[in-house]
Parts: sequence; structure tokens; C-alpha cells
Amino acid sequence: MTQQETHMVPPPETGPTANAVTEAANRPGLAGAAGTTAPPDGAGTPPPAQPDTPAGAAGRRRPPGTERSPWRVFLRKPSTMVFLPLLGLFVLIAALGPLLVGDPSATGNAELLAPSAAHPLGTDHLGRDYLARVVNGGQISLLVGFTVAVLCMTIGLVVGGLAGYHGGWMDTLMVKLAEFFQVLPGIVLALVAAALLGANVFIIVAILSITMWPAVARIVRAEAMRISQLGYVESARAAGFRSGRIIWSDVLPNALPPVLVATSMTVGRAILIESGLAYLGIGDPSHPSWGALLNSAQAYMRDGWWLAVAPGLCIFLVVLAVNMLGDALNDAYNPTVGRVK
Amino acid sequence: MKARLIHYGRLLLSSLILFIAVITVLFFLLELAPGDPIQTLVGDVPLSEAFRAQITAAYGLDKPVWERYVLYLGNVFTGNLGFSFGTNNEPVLDLILSRAGNTLALAVPAFLISTIGGIILGSIAARTRRRWLDGGISGGAVALFSVPNFWFGMLLIMVFSIWLGWFPTQGKSPYGQPGIGLEYLVLPVITMATSELAYKTRIMRSSMIESLGQDFVDTARSKGLSSSHVLWRHALPNALLPMVTVSGYSLGYILAGSVLVERVFGWPGMGLLFIDAINRQNNMVILGVVIVLTVVIILVNILTDVVYGLVDPRLRAQFSPQRTLPPEGRQDRQSDEVAA
Repeated sequence: MTQQETHMVPPPETGPTANAVTEAANRPGLAGAAGTTAPPDGAGTPPPAQPDTPAGAAGRRRPPGTERSPWRVFLRKPSTMVFLPLLGLFVLIAALGPLLVGDPSATGNAELLAPSAAHPLGTDHLGRDYLARVVNGGQISLLVGFTVAVLCMTIGLVVGGLAGYHGGWMDTLMVKLAEFFQVLPGIVLALVAAALLGANVFIIVAILSITMWPAVARIVRAEAMRISQLGYVESARAAGFRSGRIIWSDVLPNALPPVLVATSMTVGRAILIESGLAYLGIGDPSHPSWGALLNSAQAYMRDGWWLAVAPGLCIFLVVLAVNMLGDALNDAYNPTVGRVK
Repeated sequence: MKARLIHYGRLLLSSLILFIAVITVLFFLLELAPGDPIQTLVGDVPLSEAFRAQITAAYGLDKPVWERYVLYLGNVFTGNLGFSFGTNNEPVLDLILSRAGNTLALAVPAFLISTIGGIILGSIAARTRRRWLDGGISGGAVALFSVPNFWFGMLLIMVFSIWLGWFPTQGKSPYGQPGIGLEYLVLPVITMATSELAYKTRIMRSSMIESLGQDFVDTARSKGLSSSHVLWRHALPNALLPMVTVSGYSLGYILAGSVLVERVFGWPGMGLLFIDAINRQNNMVILGVVIVLTVVIILVNILTDVVYGLVDPRLRAQFSPQRTLPPEGRQDRQSDEVAA
């Protein structure tokens, strides 16, 4: 599964240590914490014996069959209530903001103006309104982050689902491919490829997707392996359904929760890597993302601190929001993650 | 013993294949790249056909692709990474080695700080009964993990160098002086260590929680061992197993992250060399840095695997010729002695 597990005598697939190792090795961001929890229950209900979630009815057990659905648990978590609106706000600003803030490349103001009422985020070294630049930069950053995550999820579902369900050579091929991308940290490969092939938004999205899909695919694969052993899949097989149909209607829906967690982590990582690339000067110069703004801000840390603060803070908040939401989703689906005394 | 030898043999073979695969992909990526290295080499001046042909031949660029590929592969295995395009044609390997020390000066302390700190903080967060402490450590870890590393470095510069004036902003030593100044080292090392520290804290916390819930911990507790003894002698060794793997991989991430950190602090290591090479289309140097990085990462992975095999009692038992005591039994015996 991971390098560790393929190379070594594999610990039991679902064992806690094995899971932690897996998570550690493929580093899907904070899902590391998810790794050591019990294997998810699929889309089923959480164990009925699980008492109060933060919003739960004060420790009272619900009668069987009326448990809260994990989605509701997720939506009622305090961190969800903070970070879901925050993320929504950023998405809204990225979608509509550019229409409101004016031309990001219009010059003509005084240079390096500190934040004021007229320019809430000040102006940059060419006298451009920084709010307009930050809002427009967010569009690029969020676009890259979400597109990469959706692409990774799609590739991961297809490749991981096939590999995990069929096993055999498909599985070997996927593991080897995933291993390849695991050896070189994504940013190095992305850096080389983007530097060599040119750096517009499409190429960067493509490169990030190519380097980042294994994180999702591995989780889909593990889930598919687990689920394909379960009774209802066996019976679907016995009933003569084709494997494509079984994967689509039995395996994937049940594998979805951990996949969504991994995908949300992918959004955060993609935004971080994209901003790193842009900071190093690899990106579309005509559409500067938050990272590219930080690149130009580097030279003005002494005279224009606000140039470095605003874009970085935006990256931080968005990545924090998706990571926290991923965590909350994970907790909602794995309510057994409890603290031991 | 035999099982172990076969295992390591396989490991070496697959590492070798992986290494060749990385080189192959990189080489052909470079071939696909647009741009004209010869023009880049000469600079922004007109170039006569004869001169161009002369340079092309001098660098062997007139040979067919596959021939250059085979040649390059052979060279890599003999430690020859080619020559830098540039005025003095330095061998790439020398160029990289001259920078490697500076990068290691950042990476090694960052690795140690993040690993040791992660183990301590993660254990505290898992063990404490004060919810605010656990919440603080876990929340801090999530936050630090979500911060773009290079931006964190910029913030450190703005606060501690520009505002407070405690540390220098750029470079590794006062201008013109060789060596590395200690005060120049502080901020980049902190920057490099933070995101890894956050990650390792998270892993350690969940691993420790897992470990504390295991049966042998209950057994140890029920025997009346002190809780710190249970923590350090029983729960910790078990919880450290995932950390072995995490630490192994983290070195690769630290080295890769050095590209960003070195750019922030103007630190003349391999990362800065890499960025310069990319900006100047200095292809052999780009390839060289990635190859050196790949070799280091693969070696560290092998080392991680070996260490894991040595410390994981389950694997130890599987590999050993005659079956020894099961790990729990051994631990219990030790603790009995202590308890008595």
C-alpha cells in the first residue's frame, strides 16, 4: 500500500499502526490524525453507543435507528460553524469580488500607501490598489486549489477503485505509480515541470493533479479492498452484477466519507504548493495569485509590511478552513475517536 | 535471517528501479522543454550558425536523444552529473556539494527539533487531562500546518529582524566572511522546523492516544505501575513506531522545503542553487539537484525501513530464526523487576 507496507512484511491492513504508517507516508495533510482512528464505518450510521457529540443531546443515547446522521453531526460541530461560513465567504469574494474592487492593475495612486479608508489594504510599489490585487489573486488560488482537488478525487476514485477492487496487476501498477510520486516531494516535481513546460494556470493545475492524486487513490484503494470483502458486495457478485456496476453503486458510495476527507486536505495542500510555486516566480505573471503577491512583497518587507501580511493571511485562513472542515468531517464519520484517560 | 536478506534485496532492487525511473522522467521532461539553452548560455546577443554548431558539438547536444540518455544514465551511476552551462563549466556534482553543507546546516537542526519536539508535544497533548492544553497544542499544530511555510519565514523576518532587530534578515554570515553565523541560523531553522513539528505533533498525539488504549497498557496499569512508568516504558515505545516512518519521510520534505526557506532568507544552499538553475535554464544543474535529492530520499527510506525492522517487535519476531519471547511478555518481565 505504501512503500512501507509493500516493502515490509505488511502489518494487518486495518491495524491501527498500519493505518498511521499509511497516513504518515502519504501525508494527506492533517488526515494523519484520521489515520489512527478505527476504520470508518462507511456511510452507515455511527455506532449507536456513541453519546454526546458536542451538539448531541446531553449524553442521552438515542434509540436505535434514530441516530444523527454523520452529516448532521458534521454540520453541528462548532468548528464547522466557524470555518464553513469562513470558507464560503472566501469563495464568494473570489467569485464576485473581482467585479466590485476594480482593475487590479490600474496604477496612479501614490506608491506604498499604508492601509487607509480609501485603500483598505494599502497600495503596492507601483501604486496599485492592493485590495483589488488580493481579491483577484484569491480567485486564482482558490480556482487552482479546488480544481486540483476535484481532479485528484476523480483520478483517485477511478484508479484507486479499480486497483482496490480488482487487485492483481492493476493494483501493482497503481502502487508502483503512487510510489514514484511519493519518492519526490510534489513541490520539486512541480517546480521542475512548471519551470520547464511553462507556467500558466492550466499547466500548474495539471502538474499538481498528476503529483497529488496518489494521496486520494491510496485511500480509495484501501476502502475498496475493505468493502469488496463485505457481505453485500459478495452477494452482489453472487447475483451476477458486473464489476463496474458493483464498484459504482456499492463500493464507491461507501468509500466516500474518507475520500472526502482526503480531498479536502488536497485542497489545502494544492493551495499551499501553488502559492509556493508562485512565490518562487513560477506562475502566470498576468494573473498573480496570492503566492505571486508574496513574491513581490519580499522586497518591501521593510517599507510595506501590509503587502506581505494580507495575501499570506488569506492563504492561511483558507487552508486552515479546509483542514478544519476535513478534520470535523473525519470526526463525524469516525465518532469512536475518543480520548483515553 | 534469510527472510530479512530477501526483504532487503527486494528493497534495494525496487529502490534502484525507482531511481532510474526518476532520472528517466526528468531527462525526457528536459527534452520536452521549450527554450534554447545555447542562446541562454551565450546571452542576449545574436548568434552565428557556425558558432552555434560549435557550441552544440562541444556540449554533445548534436547526438540523438537516446544516445545522450544512455550516456547520462551511465555518467550518473559513476557520479558524473555533467557540467554546469556557464562561464566556468564547473562540474555539477562539485557545485552541489559546495552548497550541500549549507543546506544541511539548516535541515539537520530542523529535523532534530521537529522530531524531538513533535514527540514531546504530541505525548503531552495525548496524555494531559487538561483539555485546554490538549486543545492548545492540537489547535496550534493545525494552525502551523496550514501556514504557508515561506510566509511564516517572512513574518519572522518582519518581526524579529526588521522590527525588533534581533537577527539578520538575509544570508548566512556577515558579508565577505566564510562560514555560518549562529545568529543567521536561528530564523531559517525555526521556519523549516515549524510545519514538520506541527505534522509530527499531530501524528504523535493520535499514535499515543491509540497506544494508551491498548490492552498491554491496561495490564500495566492494573498491575499498579505508576502512570509515568506506564507512559514512558509501555505506551511510548509503541507509539513511536509510526514516528519512525514519519521522520524518515520528513527529511525529504525538509530538504524539498529548503527551496522555499532558502529563497526567503537568501541562504546559499542547494535550494537557492536549484532556483537559480531554473531561472537560467541551467538544465544539468536542475537535473543534478533533483538526482542528489532523490538519492538522499531513497537512502533515507531504506534506512527508515531498516530501523523500523529493528524496532518493531512484530517484525523482529518474524525475522528472527528462532521465536523469542513475544514483546509484551518481555516488557512485562522488565516492568515486574522494576515493580518488585
